Amino acid sequence: MTAALDAADARVALEFTLPASREAHEPPEARGLPRDGVALLASRGGAGEISHHAFTDLPSLLLPGDLLVVNTSATLPAAVPLPGGFADHFSPPPRGLTDHLSPPPRGLTDHFSPPPRGLVTHFSTPRPDGDWLVELRAAGGAATVPYRGGSAGQRLELPGGAVLALDARFTARLWRARLSTAVVPYLLRHGEPIRYSYVRRPWPIEWYQTVFGTRPGSAEMPSASRPFSPEVVARLVARGVTFAPLTLHTGVSSLEGDEDPYPEPYDVPPATARLVNLTRRHGGRVIAVGTTVVRALETAARATGPSADRAPASRGVHASAGWTEHIVTPDTPLLAVDGLITGLHEPRSSHLRMLAAFAGLDLLSRCYEAAIDRGYLWHEFGDLHLLLP
Amino acid sequence: MTNTKNAVITGASRGLGLALARGLADDGWSLVIDARDGEALGAAAVSLPAGTKVIALPGDVTDPAHRAALARAAEDLGGPDLLVNNAGTLGASPLPAMADYPIGGLRDAFEVNVLAPLALTQLLLPALRRRGGAVLSITSDAAVEAYAGWGGYGAAKAALEQASNVLAAEESLVRVWWVDPGDLRTRMHQQAFPGEDISDRPRPEAVLHAFRKLISERLPAGRYRAAELMPAGARS
Repeated sequence: MTAALDAADARVALEFTLPASREAHEPPEARGLPRDGVALLASRGGAGEISHHAFTDLPSLLLPGDLLVVNTSATLPAAVPLPGGFADHFSPPPRGLTDHLSPPPRGLTDHFSPPPRGLVTHFSTPRPDGDWLVELRAAGGAATVPYRGGSAGQRLELPGGAVLALDARFTARLWRARLSTAVVPYLLRHGEPIRYSYVRRPWPIEWYQTVFGTRPGSAEMPSASRPFSPEVVARLVARGVTFAPLTLHTGVSSLEGDEDPYPEPYDVPPATARLVNLTRRHGGRVIAVGTTVVRALETAARATGPSADRAPASRGVHASAGWTEHIVTPDTPLLAVDGLITGLHEPRSSHLRMLAAFAGLDLLSRCYEAAIDRGYLWHEFGDLHLLLP
Repeated sequence: MTNTKNAVITGASRGLGLALARGLADDGWSLVIDARDGEALGAAAVSLPAGTKVIALPGDVTDPAHRAALARAAEDLGGPDLLVNNAGTLGASPLPAMADYPIGGLRDAFEVNVLAPLALTQLLLPALRRRGGAVLSITSDAAVEAYAGWGGYGAAKAALEQASNVLAAEESLVRVWWVDPGDLRTRMHQQAFPGEDISDRPRPEAVLHAFRKLISERLPAGRYRAAELMPAGARS
């Protein structure tokens, strides 16, 4: 499913250096601003124009009959510190009791090195069989850094008596693992929000929730909807803009990786599929609030599987749910979504390839130059970008 | 590429289970159905709309081998999208008071009404998660109201409701619903009122609309009463 990054020039165009001064280090509220007090860069693909606004100008940038599709996934406190390190660090994966004292197999030296102090587990994404994809991180100064150790069969002691068993590596960073208890209730009790080094101190989980978040399940905040305040939503409704919900539980981002997104669980309900199709049929624009919404809607536009509606193979979005592996790039046509509201993304990230599918590489590059020049702020507590057709 | 959905319905030889089987078959679903009475189950299977793909397995939901056979049959259809935990037992009839409730009979009621549906749910959950599926368990107002004589059945249904409630909190990828269908003209209801005329109660088909709405709209997880899902003016 991995779409090859065949266009070498695409990589160059999405390459830039992000100065530290352009990173949002804390929520806008901590900077003395209201939740909706962030900046909004707007770009129009047809005209190739860029304009600069306050986020609260959003109603005037949209038209009656436009549809905003929002993600109802709420943010889990998905980071759990491991006070005890590895529960059976010095024993190999179980192979029978008599093996217990035998020497380690050659090549597994990593297995016997002591665990670093301050290991943290990030719970990313559930699997259908009950496993979760998890990332192990090690304390690294202000925040955490990827931890490359660990080996299949190891068991990690977590707070509250839970045990996490590492099954197998899923990617270089992620493990398939199984927790000894139900993960979501466990995280709600023992977890804390995932935080990377550019956010300088921990913030309570409430600062990571959005006004639309009702179904806990995302490892990281669906951050494009964070600036939506009840007031802005009410003014959009009064403007004649409609809203429709879907759910996509997003996993840990690929900040260190330049990796493609892995499969994520999503759910496009029938009423939302109907609203999307109705909006486009009448010339309205379907605007995704967040890249997660783009992924879910573009998946639902391609859904033909058993959990899709039994609608004829007509064009449009079909209600569907399950796991999506769809990746949006300039090489995959957009079938359901006309525009996107999103944050400002890392150089080279897979998100930027999705944005290029909306704006094209040339306009997107100019947007990012303008954003750096004018002091827009990056990351989940930063400013937003509205990509219109 | 087929878009057919597959449902497992327990206790589908008569009453609400059969009505649900017919309703889903009308909507194009493929079915795995079971009941203890093989003859009645066969007749039920034959009565489904022509062209329905149906696997009918006689057996008791409290039998682990039977539950495993239901799960295999669902996989044979391509995998389950919906499990309807409909099979249930009233327990002793006429309904004894709690003061005299035979504990052995109560244990049976919990086996059928709580443990068996939970065990079948556990078996199907990985496939249901993969397919964005749903679990629908049939409950009763006896689970929340204090009806004299209904203590055994009510306690078991209350346990089923709370198991569903917690399951819904734990499973973010599967819709979990538990639905009170209301009083219906079924054999179980007749058992609760032996010798009485229950012909004033609606037939199970009368509440199909409510279940159709729940399933086709994939409403949020939670407890529903069929009556509140009926269209305005359709209350019977």
